[in-house]
Amino acid sequence: MTDRTKASEASSPAPAMRLVRRLQTTSLRIRLIAVFALVALAAAVSVSGIAYWLNRDAVLKRTQDSALSDFRSSLDRTITALPLQPTCTELQRAALVMAHSGLQYSVVLVQGGCSVSSDPGISASVVPATLVASVGEPCAHCVTEPDQYHLFWQRITLDGVPYLVGGTQVQPTGPTAYMFTSLDDERKDLDSLAWSLGIATLLALVGSALIAQVAASTVLRPVARLGEAARQLGAGRLDTRLEIRGAAELADLSQTFNQTAEALQAQVEELSAREHASRRFVADMSHELRTPLTAMTAVTDILEDEADALDPMIAPAVRLVVSETRRLTELVENLMEVTRFDAGTAKLVLDEVDVSDLITSCIDTRAWLDAVELDAPRGIVARVDPRRVDVVLANLIGNALKHGGSPVRVQVRVEDDELVVQVTDGGPGIPEDVLPHVFDRFFKADAARRRSEGSGLGLSIAVENARIHGGTITAANAPEGGACFTLRLPMTPAIEPGHPLAADGGPRGAGPGAGPAAGGNEGSKGNTA
Amino acid sequence: MAGVSHLLLIEDDDAIRTGLELALTRQGHQVSAAASGEDGLKLFKEKRPDLIVLDVMLPGIDGFEVCRRIRRTDQLPIILLTARSDDIDVVVGLESGADDYVVKPVQPRVLDARIRAVLRRGERESADSLTYGDVVIDRNAMTVTKAGEDLQLTPTELRLLLELSNRPGQALSRQQLLRLVWEHDYLGDSRLVDACVQRLRAKVEDIPSAPTLIRTVRGVGYRLDPPQ
Repeated sequence: MTDRTKASEASSPAPAMRLVRRLQTTSLRIRLIAVFALVALAAAVSVSGIAYWLNRDAVLKRTQDSALSDFRSSLDRTITALPLQPTCTELQRAALVMAHSGLQYSVVLVQGGCSVSSDPGISASVVPATLVASVGEPCAHCVTEPDQYHLFWQRITLDGVPYLVGGTQVQPTGPTAYMFTSLDDERKDLDSLAWSLGIATLLALVGSALIAQVAASTVLRPVARLGEAARQLGAGRLDTRLEIRGAAELADLSQTFNQTAEALQAQVEELSAREHASRRFVADMSHELRTPLTAMTAVTDILEDEADALDPMIAPAVRLVVSETRRLTELVENLMEVTRFDAGTAKLVLDEVDVSDLITSCIDTRAWLDAVELDAPRGIVARVDPRRVDVVLANLIGNALKHGGSPVRVQVRVEDDELVVQVTDGGPGIPEDVLPHVFDRFFKADAARRRSEGSGLGLSIAVENARIHGGTITAANAPEGGACFTLRLPMTPAIEPGHPLAADGGPRGAGPGAGPAAGGNEGSKGNTA
Repeated sequence: MAGVSHLLLIEDDDAIRTGLELALTRQGHQVSAAASGEDGLKLFKEKRPDLIVLDVMLPGIDGFEVCRRIRRTDQLPIILLTARSDDIDVVVGLESGADDYVVKPVQPRVLDARIRAVLRRGERESADSLTYGDVVIDRNAMTVTKAGEDLQLTPTELRLLLELSNRPGQALSRQQLLRLVWEHDYLGDSRLVDACVQRLRAKVEDIPSAPTLIRTVRGVGYRLDPPQ
């Protein structure tokens, strides 16, 4: 428990690392697009930002300058016309004159207790306090002409509308004048400019993504081709080659791939040629051995029959020749069978066969009936090559009798359209380290049994015979002790075209009812006969 | 056994020929031996043997051709000596009219058992005759006629027809027929049955490709149907 929490703690501080790793493993296409988009976004945002701010500055400055200079000249004209101590009415009139003489702005004049406005919506109270303060203070740093007033200004927002407020103290005892200019039009202009820039940025982003996609495709298409070619090469199509084209790096890569494939092909061809030659040699050799063996086998029976009548010194020699000739014959037959499997020339000769008949005749012809317990229900009919299955069964049962010892049990059942034959013996079982090798050629479990009757090919031939049916043989140790070999065959292997059973010209018999039952009865009679 | 049977052995390899000749003679047969197909055919005409043991791989005309030439005129049993590695050999051999085959290296006992089984096929068993349409099987004379004409059947073909006619209307599996006709005491090569049925149909049926007498029962084997 503590270990686990420690582990999670150890892994938690590295989310950044994980992100980096994930980025490294994400598709090259996505990474390319992301980078392109990021670059485009940065460029577009900085360009539009700079453009916006420059524009905004220019627009506001122009508006401001013209409004303030107009206000100044208007103030000059009006204030000089005022008496030294004007009444509120005079001030009001002056404010109205100023508001209507020049550009569109509102004017607020304050002198003494009078505070007048040209616009009823605006009064001296909305003038920001900071502006009032800077206007009221004597301006030390202001550099103004003797008969000019320094204009202070500030931008404020009234009821959601931006205003430029300018203010000055008409020196030294004159009224304080404020001017309000609406900046609403400018704001609208700037807003629409911002929108345009935003849309332009968005378009740039989309454009860059599209370009990245195209670029990724140009880079990735050869990569995909290379990947496909490598896959085909891996699947065994060694003649796969790439067309050399595209960018220098990719062409180089293609060339390297082609050279590798060529080298691989040459190597594989050489290897398979060598293997073919050695198989050929074994096949030819066993073929050549067969002719003298046939002649020798032909006379072994005579020799065996006569051995009893021979000189006691010679008889054992004759018997040795006879038995070793038979061993050699079996070995050569097995060798030829193996070469047929290796060359792929082994063929199935299928027939519908009652499995219990098959096993009974297999045991019977080898005189094993007393030594084998057979548990095979009648009536299981499988489509198999009887000769090959006989070879398999003879091998499994023969091995069980030879190495395992009684009781040898043979069980037959059908599982999921598969014929299962299990051969178990009462021996010590197979050592675990030997188990994976029992089907190897010339493998003998017990070194002391080197001189046993087997050729060392029996089980490997049995496996090949099962495989050609589309079946398997597995070896294991039974829980109650003893070796257990399991043969599994499909009830009907894929039918070979051209086989007489598959392509019979005659019309099919109409009555399936009587046929199989009668066949079964006859089968049992024929078998016991 | 009805006396000494006279065999003709055609085999090109000297050692095998000598060995088999020795072994078969010892089994009680009278053996003539030839080293080539041509010699074999000549010897066949001179000696009129009861059975031929024929090697497939022969210099000059091969075993299949010898088999075909003999079948043109005679229906005596022929057993092929083959190498199992050439699986196609068996099929071609059976198509050219052989009755059975053994695989080299063959044990003399096995060959002898096959020879005796083939020779037994010609022995008569009962004395009645059966009629299927225009085909008449005379079990007494061991002859078969079709529309009054004698059919030339090999002993194996005749035995197959007899076994089928013993159980008319009943399907027999290939393995049953192998036991009954070929006397194989283990499950054998079903192609023997298929090839023999084809040859029998070619002689007995009106249209061999559309048989009405010897019918195929799918998944079982063959059945003799009396024509409706």
